[in-house]
Amino acid sequence: MKRWIRGIALALALVLVLASAAAAEGFRTLDEIRESGKITIGLFHDKKPFGYVDEYGEYQGYDVYLARRLAQDLGVELEIVAVDAPNRIEFLQSFKTDVILANFTYTAERAEQVDFALPYMKVALGVVSPDGALITDVEQLKGKKLIVSKGTTAETFFEQNYPEVQLVRYDSYTDAYLGLLDGRGDGLSTDNTEVLAWAIENPGFSVGIESLGSLDTINPAVSKGNETLLAWINEEIRKLGEENFFHADYEATLRETYGENADADALVVEGGVI
Amino acid sequence: MPDLGISVLFRGINFQRLLLGLWVTLRIALITIGVSLVLGLLFGLLMLRKNRLSRGFCRLWLEIVRFMPQLVLLYLVYFGFARLFGWNLDGELSAVLVFSFWGTAEMGDLFRGALTSIPKHQRESAAALGLTRAQINRYILLPQTARRLLPQAINLSTRIIKTTALVKMINVTEVLKVGQQIIGQYYREPAAAFWVYAAVFLLYFLICWPISLLAGWLEKRYQDGPAAGAA
Amino acid sequence: MDWSFIAAHVPDYLAGAWVTLRFGLYGVGCSLGVGLLCCLARYFRVPVLRGLAHGYIELARNTPLMVQLFFLYAGLPRVGIRLSAEACAVIGLTFLGGAYMAEAFRSGLESVDRAQREAGECLGLTRAQNIRYVLLPQALATAVPALFANVFFLIKETSMFSVLALMDLMNVADTLRTSGGRTVEVLFLLAAAYLALLLPVSLAATFTERRLRYAGFGNQRSV
Repeated sequence: MKRWIRGIALALALVLVLASAAAAEGFRTLDEIRESGKITIGLFHDKKPFGYVDEYGEYQGYDVYLARRLAQDLGVELEIVAVDAPNRIEFLQSFKTDVILANFTYTAERAEQVDFALPYMKVALGVVSPDGALITDVEQLKGKKLIVSKGTTAETFFEQNYPEVQLVRYDSYTDAYLGLLDGRGDGLSTDNTEVLAWAIENPGFSVGIESLGSLDTINPAVSKGNETLLAWINEEIRKLGEENFFHADYEATLRETYGENADADALVVEGGVI
Repeated sequence: MPDLGISVLFRGINFQRLLLGLWVTLRIALITIGVSLVLGLLFGLLMLRKNRLSRGFCRLWLEIVRFMPQLVLLYLVYFGFARLFGWNLDGELSAVLVFSFWGTAEMGDLFRGALTSIPKHQRESAAALGLTRAQINRYILLPQTARRLLPQAINLSTRIIKTTALVKMINVTEVLKVGQQIIGQYYREPAAAFWVYAAVFLLYFLICWPISLLAGWLEKRYQDGPAAGAA
Repeated sequence: MDWSFIAAHVPDYLAGAWVTLRFGLYGVGCSLGVGLLCCLARYFRVPVLRGLAHGYIELARNTPLMVQLFFLYAGLPRVGIRLSAEACAVIGLTFLGGAYMAEAFRSGLESVDRAQREAGECLGLTRAQNIRYVLLPQALATAVPALFANVFFLIKETSMFSVLALMDLMNVADTLRTSGGRTVEVLFLLAAAYLALLLPVSLAATFTERRLRYAGFGNQRSV
């Protein structure tokens, strides 16, 4: 019978060894990434038009365009990991991805947990609601239900500044939008660039509050302390500014959504300079 | 309107994507079932030992698994281990670990139950006939244990397959998540969400139902067998 | 371990635990009812209902609760049936739980000797009286362990309610975790909370099983 105990002990030891082998011990430096031949970037899989999957299973969007360019310039293969808003910080802190390009807004609190690179997009908060019951002022939301996605600046903003607003929190953008369509909330709040794009595509809904809270930026993020990768990304963004990359990105991925008359400069940050 | 909706499933490679997502789910489930079968047998034997320490250890394992919702265990491994030990496991590995932890304990308990339900006189008669320990195990105990175990084991397998739906919460792109991605492109189609979720529902059913039918058939078959324990 | 963090958030967890408990119990209650009805329909071979019950049980037992919840909450509204989050929670739990309870009741009923049922009928008892005074008491003795196991299982299954944006225990923990909270403390409290919630159920189960052990009249194996 001693054999069995040894068998179990062996199995457990095996499991533990496999687990620790599979676990990442720390962030990957620039050289390690180059050597491995691929970079792992976390992107949204359901936030059109910034990061989403089309019907052919291909990732598309403003963030994705940048991700592809980064991988190309680094000379490695791009491995995309689908993320949802609540898990972006977690992914960097547990080294599950090298970079997060999931439309991540810079905030001081977040900067304590991850390292942000130069900005590539401007953003504030917006609120979209049904045309029939348009919310045009934040005061109208008091006592009403507002849909937010967990882990977004919208969630934090309303929690801290307007606690009388009832928050309905969803894990992913798809759930949040379906919630809005099904009347689970009187409005939905997230980045204004996002709600505007969605409202344009979905008749019957409009953005009643176009800009709420402070004007923030969207920056790439890497694990805290990953200086080599951070420096390289910052250098990249400056260089890309010289060829007006982000304007081209806008034309390729966002122009169709926002229309001919929209001003790209209202959203785009070129060369990391606001 | 429903017509427009269901076509969503067949645009582009949407349906293939759903099936690929289902494959991720099945992969996790199959690996778990495999590991649980092997380790479960060992666990069951450990439970039967007279040693108080090993029995206590097994008991503790079983109780942890019974008390904690699977989702909590998943979070503990996926998020908690990363913070506590610096072990950063990806979603699929965490899922296999957690579900195997659960499956092993359950399988072990089933095995123990099956083995102890064989009447003592079977063993005694065999010994009286002069069979060695190994022969008793092989010709008397094992077949009967397997017969009692099989329906419940298959039942457990179905439960494992269903529980893998939880991995959506730890960022594994399985069938539900793929479904959400598909829905996210068709907000303007009123019934898209309905058909996608209905399709996922049906897919799970089509996989689990035949298996549970098999378990039911096996149970009936073995119930009337001569080895059902009647003297 | 940041104890001040834990102390500060215990009220949140209590609120979440209350939601979990409330909906868990609603679900359990309705499941018992639905389960008993389905089981009786099959046991007495009531035409039509029997087939429906069978179909329902197969459907509910072979699909995960999470998929059922998504379908109820996000799928049905698209064809006009909009249920509140709370309704979806109870309906979802009942849908799943009813099938499991039906199976538990079935194993209980089948363990009662057919002679008992026939004797009751001979004595002129109506079907309802037969069920109430003869069959159920004996069936329950055998079914109680399985029933309690299901109650346990259903309360654990409520951990999926975050997909309905309901602030149950799991969702409270998850929200705290994602708003930059301390993962270890959050998860520790979560585990402790579920333990506190489920321990009484487990004790009640053991207590009840022990008391009902003598209810079976001779149809139990002489162990």
